[in-house]
Amino acid sequence: MGWEEKQVRGYPEFVQTAQRYHGRPIFALFCGDKDAEGRSWCPDCVTAEPVVRKELHHMPDESVFIYCLVGDRAYWKDPNNEFRKNLKLTGVPTLLKYGTPQKLVEEECFKAELVRMLFTED
Amino acid sequence: QEAAKYEKKVMVLDFVTPTPLGNSWGLGGTCVNVGCIPKKLMHQAALLGQALQDSRKFGWQFTEEVQHNWMTMTESVQNYIGSLNWGYRVALREKKVTYENAYGEFVGPHTVKATNRRGVEKLYTAERFLIATGERPRYLGIPGDKEYCISSDDLFSLPYCPGKTLVVGASYVALECAGFLAGLGLDVTVMVRSILLRGFDQDMANKIGEYMEEHGINFIREFVPIKVEQIEEGTPGRLKVVAKSTTGNQIIEGEYNTVLLAIGRDACTRKIGLDKVGVKINEKTGKIPVNDEEQTNVPYIYAVGDILEDKLELTPVAIQAGRLLAQRLYAGATSKCDYVNVPTTVFTPLEYGVCGYSEETAVEKFGEENIEVYHSHFWPLEWTVPSRDNNKCYAKIICNIQDNERVIGFHVLGPNAGEVTQGFAAAIKCGLTKEQLDSTLGIHPVCAEV
Repeated sequence: MGWEEKQVRGYPEFVQTAQRYHGRPIFALFCGDKDAEGRSWCPDCVTAEPVVRKELHHMPDESVFIYCLVGDRAYWKDPNNEFRKNLKLTGVPTLLKYGTPQKLVEEECFKAELVRMLFTED
Repeated sequence: QEAAKYEKKVMVLDFVTPTPLGNSWGLGGTCVNVGCIPKKLMHQAALLGQALQDSRKFGWQFTEEVQHNWMTMTESVQNYIGSLNWGYRVALREKKVTYENAYGEFVGPHTVKATNRRGVEKLYTAERFLIATGERPRYLGIPGDKEYCISSDDLFSLPYCPGKTLVVGASYVALECAGFLAGLGLDVTVMVRSILLRGFDQDMANKIGEYMEEHGINFIREFVPIKVEQIEEGTPGRLKVVAKSTTGNQIIEGEYNTVLLAIGRDACTRKIGLDKVGVKINEKTGKIPVNDEEQTNVPYIYAVGDILEDKLELTPVAIQAGRLLAQRLYAGATSKCDYVNVPTTVFTPLEYGVCGYSEETAVEKFGEENIEVYHSHFWPLEWTVPSRDNNKCYAKIICNIQDNERVIGFHVLGPNAGEVTQGFAAAIKCGLTKEQLDSTLGIHPVCAEV
């Protein structure tokens, strides 16, 4: 069956989508919002996204890849935003395997090898 | 990781043979997965329970009875361990160390065979090899032990509360586990064959035992289990344990939900093909003798950690030995691992920190007339208000009269013993004498000022 991608924006939509696919492997990439030209306010996210996308085919069958825009820069900087509070995210970009402690943060997402390891690790 | 820093091509073969009950874990070794880390976290859980009790005397008011949920604690602990396992995977990758989750064994000179959990075999050759396979819990060899008993390998991820528990053994593993299980509110009994904490200062060991007994842990002394039977299946089930006295013919029986075996650990050196490459091991204990540069009798094979003969079985020791070895081999360093004056702490309900000689060993080595022991009981200020024991905490130092009254043994029994001992370990390494200790002003009011 391969894998499928879901694009969401904001915390409630993220949670709803993750819950919908409960039981399947779920990987999520969190990035800062994009402007009208499609560029994110977060320069590291701009670097990481193509690296991650290139490795998506390594995800196991039936996986769901959730591409989640977290919000604008001000929202992200707020130490009490829901992503920080509930998902314990510490930075963007973050790539994680939902429901496990496995994640890659910021520059770690630039490394294709690490991304591949996250997607293929048992 | 250290060797990789020096541009060497490095591979790690890590594989956990499942426990008799099918349990396994991730990268990181014993300490991270089924040792120090989960142990200290659960010890902390128990201490927090005690703190909640004390808090009422300090004015905190709550009407509900406080309960402990085993699953909540275990899940949090396992989650943390999972993040450590993952962290190591990332670290190895970043340092370009090749990692295989496969069982390694020697098949010939400079050659190992790696078998993964699906049975796929690969051969690898290398210039040098480092063995750090550690140990696993020993079983009793009595009917019912592997089928019904658990070990520390199973305890920290047990998917149900162990309930009424019998801990067999008197090692620090046994006492620490008995300690936190009781601290979480469980009915705990410890069955001891002879003495507590063999190898540790016996004066201190007895004080630890006394404290545990006075705080609700039952001790059955001078008995060994001879049979374990299942009365009822379940999570937990009900087990019947039959035990025999070591001093006579008396037989006793008891019923428990869980039986935890903590009678010792055996080195994992028997099934890794050491005979194929000629590495000598102590046939009786399975341990590997090495020279002071961690080299076995085969020049290109080294060993570190718990499997070494006559060396302390502690995580920091193994790490230090490994790092220094890599530095000596690949960075021209000359420092060897210092195995003397290694501090350690036993995290029993009353914590015990020690650095240096026990009183018995000091007497044996230097002669009773050449050592002086200074000691004192103390009452932690934090224990006064909640009316906790006023004569249990204790500290003693052992000095060598012939060497300027140098402090050669430091022992403390009390809260945060580990934190207290760490600083003194550094002082002892610098050659602390009694006079210097006396002239150091104390911090007040803390336990360490004693």
